[in-house]
Amino acid sequence: MLQSRLGRAGALGRLALRVGGRYVARSPRLIFASVDRRSELRHDLALRTADDVAEELGSMKGVLMKLGQMASYIDEDMPLTFRAAMARLQHKAPPMSEDLASSVIREELGDEPERVFARWDPVPFAAASIGQVHRAITRNGRAVAVKVQYPGIARSMTSDLRNVGLLRRIAAAAFPGLDTRSLVDELGERLQEEVDYNLEAASQELFARYFKGHPFIHVPEVVRELSTARVLTSELVAGSRFDELQGWDQRERDMAAETIYRFVFRSLYRLHAFNGDPHPGNYLFHGRGRVSFLDFGLTKRFTDEDLAPLIDGVRFMVIDGDGDSFRKAMERAGFLQAGAPVSTQAVVDRFGHFYGTVMRDAPMTITPAYASAIVKRFFDARSPLAPYSDVPRTYAILQRINLGLYAVLGSLNATANWRRIAEEIWPFINGPASTPIGEAEARWYEQPGQRGAVLDRTAGGCAGAGSARPAPLGGSPPSA
Amino acid sequence: MSYDPISAQVDGESRLEMMAPLARAFSRSVPDHPADAGLFGPQSLVWRVNRDRAFPLAGMRSLMVQALHPLAMAGVAEHSDWRRDPFGRLAATSGYVLTVTYGDTASTNAAAARVRAVHTHVRGTDPVTGLPYSAEDPELLLWVHAGMVDSIVHVVQLYGRGLDAAEADRYVAEMVPFAVILGVPPERVPSSVQALRAYLESVGLRQATPAAREAIAIVLDPPDLSPDLRELWHDLGQVAIGTLPQWARDMYGFAEPTAESMEREPVRQLIGAVDLMFESLPGVLEARERIELRSRG
Repeated sequence: MLQSRLGRAGALGRLALRVGGRYVARSPRLIFASVDRRSELRHDLALRTADDVAEELGSMKGVLMKLGQMASYIDEDMPLTFRAAMARLQHKAPPMSEDLASSVIREELGDEPERVFARWDPVPFAAASIGQVHRAITRNGRAVAVKVQYPGIARSMTSDLRNVGLLRRIAAAAFPGLDTRSLVDELGERLQEEVDYNLEAASQELFARYFKGHPFIHVPEVVRELSTARVLTSELVAGSRFDELQGWDQRERDMAAETIYRFVFRSLYRLHAFNGDPHPGNYLFHGRGRVSFLDFGLTKRFTDEDLAPLIDGVRFMVIDGDGDSFRKAMERAGFLQAGAPVSTQAVVDRFGHFYGTVMRDAPMTITPAYASAIVKRFFDARSPLAPYSDVPRTYAILQRINLGLYAVLGSLNATANWRRIAEEIWPFINGPASTPIGEAEARWYEQPGQRGAVLDRTAGGCAGAGSARPAPLGGSPPSA
Repeated sequence: MSYDPISAQVDGESRLEMMAPLARAFSRSVPDHPADAGLFGPQSLVWRVNRDRAFPLAGMRSLMVQALHPLAMAGVAEHSDWRRDPFGRLAATSGYVLTVTYGDTASTNAAAARVRAVHTHVRGTDPVTGLPYSAEDPELLLWVHAGMVDSIVHVVQLYGRGLDAAEADRYVAEMVPFAVILGVPPERVPSSVQALRAYLESVGLRQATPAAREAIAIVLDPPDLSPDLRELWHDLGQVAIGTLPQWARDMYGFAEPTAESMEREPVRQLIGAVDLMFESLPGVLEARERIELRSRG
């Protein structure tokens, strides 16, 4: 094992360079920039036992930090008690000691990490919400990122989530005016998914299969044989972090934003799946619009029936400008009570804000102010519609488009003709490629046997329920 | 994210404000660069136990027990501004306990000297028993010490990070200097759990005077609490009542809480929620890290 810091950094540099093909970092500096993230972790305060973990993250603390993370999507000047508490703490959970992390690998994969892997870096390079990420090289030479869960955390979080009374009270304190029931339900759902890495692995595989070969969107592959409920091993990606992207020129930022936008809406409208975490920490950037997407801890899949009202909503609001039909679609989906004593114009005004990026066929810059206004509207309890509107559980996760995605795009000050891009993706339009990224995407999509098309719910011959049904060979282009 | 909850005004009301003096006291009491290890030192049980997250609960129980000595209660009632500023008063007390625990010898001695100086002025006659009292009276100082140590041991055993019987005795013995530095002769201070409880039950004057009832009513329902914290605080108070010895509950006339409301897991969840708020206040996390790093040597 390498002892000196320098030796370790050198080994990691070499390790990162082994990452194959297109996703090699742009320069050694960037590799080391991501290696340097480890300095954010307080190794001097490392958790040494499962009891330390319980003290740090058990007894509601981890669960409330998660609530805080959810809250951090909500705009900056919301009333807060707990949110402030959690915002300050959520990135401060100390890492596990080397021994404690090794003990999890031993329990989950049956042997010391140094024997399970050809190389194992005992020092984590990043924190995960309820674990940490180590670099390693598998026995067959693959560079991987190994997410290791804190021991005992699954059990204690499950128990904490059962204390619904306390959670609701805290949620009510942190978010006065919000529906604490659905907030706590969502928190529960989300954490239950996060504590079982098998679920995350399955989601990540779904996205990885769909986007395989995509020229701009990259989802790291899961190494199943080295993954369990508490260990998730996937292909290691080297790239630049969001804050580094912020320092690149506007053209780079626009291209990255376009790729993120395409990823979110292509996943939703074509794969019928949504990765619920549009969050700056979950991307790595490779330049010229290429982005790796990490963290599939919260993924929601939609049936055709789930998605139909969303598609109707776009069609009636954006394409047809038919307020009455739009209103009926929202009522059918449960967003609006039927027969609410409000004018259809008020309904159109209220919901129209959420279609702001696609209303006009023209370039538009998403600014931080725009993103913040969307959020404020979303949570506006004073709207005349507020008493009659609701977000049905099925769609709760899509709030993150409004709360997370636009915040990400806003902080990039991203400009594009979002309408044209959306028209490429909307299955009822199947618009022509409108940008260079779109042209490359179309070529990817139309490749015979392209894996993405196999999973595409709207591609010809593969609209059946369920996932990953094999499609006829040479899957038809989307216009079929 | 830099967010200062202290200055966060929410609909004109700041929600964690009442905890701020406690946070400041905590932060100030844990030195950055101590001259020496102080009375106990990083390897002591006192260091480990006195930073348990169940401490607010132990503090509540301490006050409930301590208030049952009519002369100790009279001294507080007639010489302190606690009614006007209960959290400020609580912060002063907890700051003292933390300084004596984690401070170096010079800070500890200075803090003890300040308390003793204040005590010289605290004297009078208790209106209920008609007895004279003085805060310098070793008997009263011993009572207050015993109420605190017994509460810490009991609460940390039930809801804290754990303390077995031998450790509990060791902790009680390690805590003896706490009483001594305020003027209790060392031979009078109990040094085992059993001796501590026997002493508490041997004090014949124990009773809940009107002053004690008033004080504890305020502890259970502090006036400045924002509505959303009030419920959590109320729950904590009920647990504190549940941890009292039966004689103390009887004197106040408190009903015994249900066994369900005293279960370890939900109580720890409640403590965790309160602790998270406390830890979010400026300086608290950093002070805890200082203690942790020194404990690790």
